[in-house]
Amino acid sequence: MAVPASGTARPSSTILQAAYGGILRYPLLVALAAVIVLFSLASPVFLTAANLQSILVNNVTLLVIVTIAMTFAVAVGGIDLSVGTAIDFASFAFVSLVLAGQPVGVAALAGLASGALVGAFNAVLISLIGISPFLATLGTLFIGRSLQQILTNGGNPVYLPPAGVPEAFRFLGRGTLAGIPVPLVIAGALILVATLVFARTRFGRVAIAIGIQPDVVRYSGVASRAHVAVTFILVGLIAAVAGLILTATVTVYIPSSGNAFLLNAIGATFIGTTLSPLGRPNIPGTVLGVLLLGIVANGLLLTGLNFYWQQVGTGTLIFAVLALSFARRRHAKA
Amino acid sequence: MSVELDLTPLSPLGQEATPAGPALGGQIAALALRAGSLIAFAVIVAVFAITAPYFLSVGNIGNVVGQSAIPGVLAVGLTIVLIAGGSNVVTGGIDLSLAANMGLSAAVYATLAQAGYGDGTAVAAALLTGGIIGAVNAFAVVVAGIVPLLATLAVMNVVAGIELVLTQNTVIPATTPLLSALSSSGPLGIPVLGLVLVVFTLIVGAIVQFTPTGLRLYAVGEFPEAGRAAGLPVRRLTAGAFVASGLCGGFAGILSVSNLSGSTTGSGEMLLPVVVTALLGAVFSRRLVPTIGGTLLSTLFVGILVNGFQLLNISSTLVNGVQGILILLVVSATTLLRKKEA
Repeated sequence: MAVPASGTARPSSTILQAAYGGILRYPLLVALAAVIVLFSLASPVFLTAANLQSILVNNVTLLVIVTIAMTFAVAVGGIDLSVGTAIDFASFAFVSLVLAGQPVGVAALAGLASGALVGAFNAVLISLIGISPFLATLGTLFIGRSLQQILTNGGNPVYLPPAGVPEAFRFLGRGTLAGIPVPLVIAGALILVATLVFARTRFGRVAIAIGIQPDVVRYSGVASRAHVAVTFILVGLIAAVAGLILTATVTVYIPSSGNAFLLNAIGATFIGTTLSPLGRPNIPGTVLGVLLLGIVANGLLLTGLNFYWQQVGTGTLIFAVLALSFARRRHAKA
Repeated sequence: MSVELDLTPLSPLGQEATPAGPALGGQIAALALRAGSLIAFAVIVAVFAITAPYFLSVGNIGNVVGQSAIPGVLAVGLTIVLIAGGSNVVTGGIDLSLAANMGLSAAVYATLAQAGYGDGTAVAAALLTGGIIGAVNAFAVVVAGIVPLLATLAVMNVVAGIELVLTQNTVIPATTPLLSALSSSGPLGIPVLGLVLVVFTLIVGAIVQFTPTGLRLYAVGEFPEAGRAAGLPVRRLTAGAFVASGLCGGFAGILSVSNLSGSTTGSGEMLLPVVVTALLGAVFSRRLVPTIGGTLLSTLFVGILVNGFQLLNISSTLVNGVQGILILLVVSATTLLRKKEA
């Protein structure tokens, strides 16, 4: 860490050094602030309440839920490439049962169970057989893709007719609680619970410990395989929540559409991990990572950049943030 | 925070519980482990050969090899990064930008060919594109110190974006003498692309498996600290692996232009299958480490599966699923056997 080395430093340089130290400790907050300033200068619309709400609803809500799921997988030293599969299965079960006239509550529970089932499949592969999480969930992703094709006769979407959408279903996707969109409320609650799980519960602390020192955890008598198994089921369950909200919002299930979240979720999780002071998976970092991705996507849209250039812009910005932060961290170590 | 790619179970049971063990049983298990994946390969070939008579014909095998050329070249590139980066997917070697690299290189080639430039210029430009992308990855990983998974993920987004800007998300048709030659058939009706794959793998395999440089790549990947202590240029070797992988992406781009008579969109779809192929390649090597030969076998394995299904008129929707199940079966069998061997 950058500690002022000499006592002769002038006050201004002390402030600079303090700022420098701040950047080193919280590069993600600094990056976020920089991006916000940049876009509010580039577009007068950016900082309006309507636009900020649009960022949260359109760019952040679903991704943050999926990324929380990913954070749990990364916390135990794994990764889950099949979060999209859990999203899709939850979505399929939910829509199909609602279409079949089941109550929305029952359909939602079945959806959550389907997501948890995908997680349980991963858990068996990883904890029981001992396949590495990367390979196991990659296999699940491929099997899931194929199963969905079979279930939908080669990939046909399952629509809910506009007239047949139950009120509770509509509420989940487009309703509001005290003026706040329901999906946002759910995402906020999940962020809160996940933060508490990591900060205050034994489950969360053991998960982090498994990720850092799996052998030490095992030798200290923790049933770490069971712990990893439960964690992966939880990952499927959380991803399923995103699946339910996605379906309730668009009232259609499209096979294999959940994969769209995968790379962004991995990106946001690891941005949060690598840019956090301790370099560990953590929920605040994950949330900031998602916010960074969402704000950049929205900001580039507002600047009126050609649609294709936006992807170049997003990638370049994230690349720059990562490169700067890693370079500074290395500099700090040296 | 480590995602172990090597096939060690998360918590190996009986590691301390097994002393010498019954020697014969151990040997059989070890043999089965080494041969198991090859046996699985052979069984699948046999099943297809019996159920689909056309399967074993020279023409069909040639087809399989030809269709495997593009994923094969990409998987070989990824294998080089896996070797030099070590077995840890997150902190070690992975190159997620390969498929996007192929797409952009193909787009560059097709654009230049359409603009009237000769094959030489277009080939050079495509390889240069791939090489630059590899160099950016190398810079990000070695100089900036970003973990490969993140660095190549960001580069993948940038590259895919540039491809969209260049092609405006359209197909760019291209026909040149070189492309026609590549997409034609050689002796015995074997597609030229297939021959290209075989020659390419032989050359890269010779370099990686049989030269001091190749050995150093393995050393750097498995034990970077030991490599550094032994005076190996660790950073230069890692950087070189990413540049080599980028060049493979450029080369695959040229092949894909010839195969599709132009550049097409959606090259990103190739990413996960290529990752699967390269990772599965380790299963086909004796020491369960990534090798060029193992990757070639695994590429052909996947190619044969797809082809056999087509011949048997099995719905193509099943291909992904069976691919996934086979990967899990082969990997689980290997893992369980390895546990016994330990």
